[in-house]
Amino acid sequence: MPAVQETIDQVRQIDVDQYKYGFETKIEMDKAPKGLSEDIIRLISSKKNEPEWMLEWRFEAYRRWLTMEEPSWARVRYPKIDFNEIHYYAAPKGTTGPKSLDEVDPELLKVYEKLGIPLREQEILAGVEKSKIAVDAVFDSVSVVTTFKEELKKAGVIFMSISEAIREHPDLVRKYLGTVVPQSDNFYATLNSAVFTDGSFVYVPKGVRCPMELSTYFRINEKNTGQFERTLIIADEGAYVSYLEGCTAPQRDENQLHAAVVELIALDDAEIKYSTVQNWYPGDKEGKGGIYNFVTKRGDCRGKNSKISWTQVETGSAITWKYPSCILRGDGSRGEFYSIAVSNGHQQVDSGTKMIHLGKNTSSRIISKGIAAGFSDNTYRGQVSAHRKAENARNFTQCDSLLIGDKCGAHTVPYIEAKNSTAQFEHEATTSKISEDQLFYCLQRGIPEEAAIALIVNGFVKEVIQELPMEFAVEAQKLIGISLEGSVG
Amino acid sequence: MLEIKNLHARIAEDGTEIIRGLNLTVKAGEVAAIMGPNGSGKSTLSYVLSGREDYEVTEGDILYNGESILELDAAERAAKGLFLAFQYPVEIPGVATMQFLKVAMNEQRKYRGEDELSTPEFMRRVKEAAAELKIAPEMLRRPLNVGFSGGEKKRAEILQMALLEPKLCVLDETDSGLDIDALKVVADGVNALRSPDRAVVVITHYQRLLDYIVPDTVHVLYRGQVVKSGDKTLAHELEANGYADIIGAAA
Amino acid sequence: MNMQQAIKMTAAESALVDAYTAQIGDLPGDGAVLSLRDTLVHELRTAGLPTRRVEAWHYTDLRTLLRSVPAADSTAFSERVEAIVPGASVLSVRNGQADLKTLPEGVTARSYSESLLDGSAAAGLAVLGADDAIGRINGGLVRGGLEIAVAEGAELKAPVEIQVVQSHGQAHTRFPVSFGAGAKATMIERHLSTSAEPSFVSSVSDVTLAEGADVIWIILQQQGPADTHLGQIRFDLGKDAKLHLFVINAGGKLVRQELHGKASGEGADLTLRGINLLGGDSHTDVTFTLSHDVPHTTSSEIIRNVVFDRAKGVFQGKILVAKDAQKTDAKMACNTLLLSDDADLSAKPELEIFADDVQCGHGATVADIDHTQLFYLLSRGIPEKKARAMLVNAFVAEIVEELEDDEALVEALEGVISAWLEKHA
Repeated sequence: MPAVQETIDQVRQIDVDQYKYGFETKIEMDKAPKGLSEDIIRLISSKKNEPEWMLEWRFEAYRRWLTMEEPSWARVRYPKIDFNEIHYYAAPKGTTGPKSLDEVDPELLKVYEKLGIPLREQEILAGVEKSKIAVDAVFDSVSVVTTFKEELKKAGVIFMSISEAIREHPDLVRKYLGTVVPQSDNFYATLNSAVFTDGSFVYVPKGVRCPMELSTYFRINEKNTGQFERTLIIADEGAYVSYLEGCTAPQRDENQLHAAVVELIALDDAEIKYSTVQNWYPGDKEGKGGIYNFVTKRGDCRGKNSKISWTQVETGSAITWKYPSCILRGDGSRGEFYSIAVSNGHQQVDSGTKMIHLGKNTSSRIISKGIAAGFSDNTYRGQVSAHRKAENARNFTQCDSLLIGDKCGAHTVPYIEAKNSTAQFEHEATTSKISEDQLFYCLQRGIPEEAAIALIVNGFVKEVIQELPMEFAVEAQKLIGISLEGSVG
Repeated sequence: MLEIKNLHARIAEDGTEIIRGLNLTVKAGEVAAIMGPNGSGKSTLSYVLSGREDYEVTEGDILYNGESILELDAAERAAKGLFLAFQYPVEIPGVATMQFLKVAMNEQRKYRGEDELSTPEFMRRVKEAAAELKIAPEMLRRPLNVGFSGGEKKRAEILQMALLEPKLCVLDETDSGLDIDALKVVADGVNALRSPDRAVVVITHYQRLLDYIVPDTVHVLYRGQVVKSGDKTLAHELEANGYADIIGAAA
Repeated sequence: MNMQQAIKMTAAESALVDAYTAQIGDLPGDGAVLSLRDTLVHELRTAGLPTRRVEAWHYTDLRTLLRSVPAADSTAFSERVEAIVPGASVLSVRNGQADLKTLPEGVTARSYSESLLDGSAAAGLAVLGADDAIGRINGGLVRGGLEIAVAEGAELKAPVEIQVVQSHGQAHTRFPVSFGAGAKATMIERHLSTSAEPSFVSSVSDVTLAEGADVIWIILQQQGPADTHLGQIRFDLGKDAKLHLFVINAGGKLVRQELHGKASGEGADLTLRGINLLGGDSHTDVTFTLSHDVPHTTSSEIIRNVVFDRAKGVFQGKILVAKDAQKTDAKMACNTLLLSDDADLSAKPELEIFADDVQCGHGATVADIDHTQLFYLLSRGIPEKKARAMLVNAFVAEIVEELEDDEALVEALEGVISAWLEKHA
């Protein structure tokens, strides 16, 4: 059918050839030499003025990492990574801890402008009424600037780069760091523990509803640079926070490694909503270049009636390997995972979630929408387990795949494990293509083929789009090649 | 307005010929009814007219306002003013009816080189048309045709027709699955659209609908050909005597 | 000596290797077969039994679960038992020995040991892949079995029961069965034990359906509470062939039942129905893969698990749709009733799809008995125990009823189910 080719072309245009964030910024950089050793780790730690305990923590992870093997169970293929060909630290010169926006390199501000990040507070105020977003921008290895700090401080919310937090709130960091994703968790998480360079730290105190959306934009700029950010978010009893994460990288022929760790902790009655729009460079249409996105994200519903919700829109990266998960430890806690994963060109996606039901009366919900086009492979891999004591555990999983073209693959690999007779799990999965009837119906109404496909795909992912904060929903829709100029009420 | 000349068409996948030398002319302002027994090619005709790729035209031509439309795809034909009300309107999950309407209206305008509608203007038009057809605003927020009753689906089709302001409307078995009240609402909607510069082709198996949408001409389709044409009395004849006589004469 | 041999063998691994060594010179086979046996046993010795790190064995860590293997005993003998469906022909293998008494018209058979001796069995002994532990154990140690051919166009009036009866010790059997074009038959592959002593059984059926063949194949596993059963059926469906594969597990201590198939002719259709009745300390794993290799093939799978006591159930199902297999229609469902707090169920229903014009789906549910239904029955005066039994029975029986064309068969299978439930529920 001709539709297939046209669709492939169309999606390819959006996602691969016209990767609009693929500009490179010429900024003077301060870089560590390539390769990894205790010296490099010491250098990273000292660049960040870290206390001794942090350095020790890193060493511990590093020594363990040396004994570990790269995982191979995911459905992804890539040449062996030479971990000694990577720079583990790169920072724009002279930007260690700007006091205000005025101190930030104007070149850097231009980068963020191009990315459409509302870095300048006044722009946000002028732009969107009633909607403020505090932004922490991470450029290669360094957090550049965090906006709205003062206002957040009034509410008692701590939002800063993790490097700052290590210095300024060591007690909080020590108490929680590595408690959700232990140093030894997996190959990439252990590597991250040894070399993480920056990332965001959020603490929302008891009973506080964070007054605005918090957001971090990550950008890899330097060649051969690995980005290893570490994010730690703690919602204390009864607190609420919504956090957004966006990612871009310039176009490069070489593959770049991104191995982040995100830890979320929700105490009694707290709620954390974590949204990601991931648009790392996916490689060109021959599959050259692109980011290896090997990320460990996990939330711990530690308190009773706590809730953690992951929403992700994954359109970028050459390889995506990530499973944002929830440990439902607290009685009555709830985990949610909403995902859209679009793969095209030669992209490979192996993504999904784990819902580990430990406490009583815990519930989880998984909605995953995979769209595979081009020569890509798109795998949903998810685990739902109820342990012996997880009385009345509930899970609902809906996992749908859409194939566009006959050169791609869509795969579904769920692991369902029930060890409690009061558990109720429901899992449904479908794989299909856009129906000819739907397409013809749209055409007959005068909607050209590409627009019709975009419309139908938009409908396909709607359940997940609705979970995104408004600002991100718009960006996400654009990213998936859909225009939703809707006045839909 | 519409001139079909010696049209032959077949199913692309297996080559089965369905339309076998069909001739038909419909003038602007005319309401033409196409009747025929099951399997005579009625629905195929509607698909071939609107450009569904599952069918191939092997011979003959379709002229719309004097120009052949065979080379145009379905979306282009629609933008030029051809509208097909489907016998089985298709469900599109996740796409709100309202959103669908807006995309369709604006894409057609874009094709014709017109400006897109402003949101308030779009809303005004939709509200008016929906009220005429007794369509609740709530229904417009629901995904297109998903979970609509038979009557709601057909009304939604007529709503689209009203909003897209086509020049040539093809109604494929619009009466199927409708109770008498719904049928009246639908017929009123169609009648409201009758105008000297607009033609309507009503495809139906039964005469019933033609009591409400009174045709100017009636054509009997059998084995992919028009075997008899006449005025509205022909429909009553068919109702009284069935298709056997006409088919017998044609065979 | 290579590195792998440094792995310390478990008691079960040693027992299997020892069983082979003890029978060298006695196990049937020509040169090719014997050298293949050597290779397979060597692989078993070096790779060991699969652990949970092998994805295909993720939920059945055979190396840990298989504590011991009883020694092979060539003197073990057990009586042939009555056919489960009255009037069925019985082809039996007892303690590995083939017994061909009654061959119905249109069916030819010979002892599998003859195929081993003349070497014609060699090609079929190859393992399906590196993870094929059952193929490896069975290929190394296989002794008896039957090679059966159902003639082209033959329509068997009564079911044929392939009976594997074991009293104790080991049995390793194989059943290459071919169905000619247009053949129509009902086969019952039945595994049972006649004593409480432990048996270790491996059995591989290799089934091919030629064009238009229409076959019902029932696997009825009723081994003893101490037995290990490693079963495998491989099937290949030709053009317009129809296979209705029906698996009932109602016995055994450690059971792995593998079902591996290919829809390799257009119009091929598989219906898989599985009932797993699990109780005691048993561990039962049904692992299914189906590869839709050509366009226009269909499949439908429904598995129902009922898990009591401390039993553990596993269902792994993978539907693979190859690149050009457009218009595939495949639906898989796995439903489980977990009826005890110590029961355990893991399911992994997988889709692996490389063609875009397909309709594929799977569903899985795990739940207790529906409380509304239970309450409804109670409110009608039915005591709870009885009400529960009724609901459990209904949960599995509705699958058996699909075989309604053969009343005697339905009755026999329902008998197996209700007898099991009476004993365990």
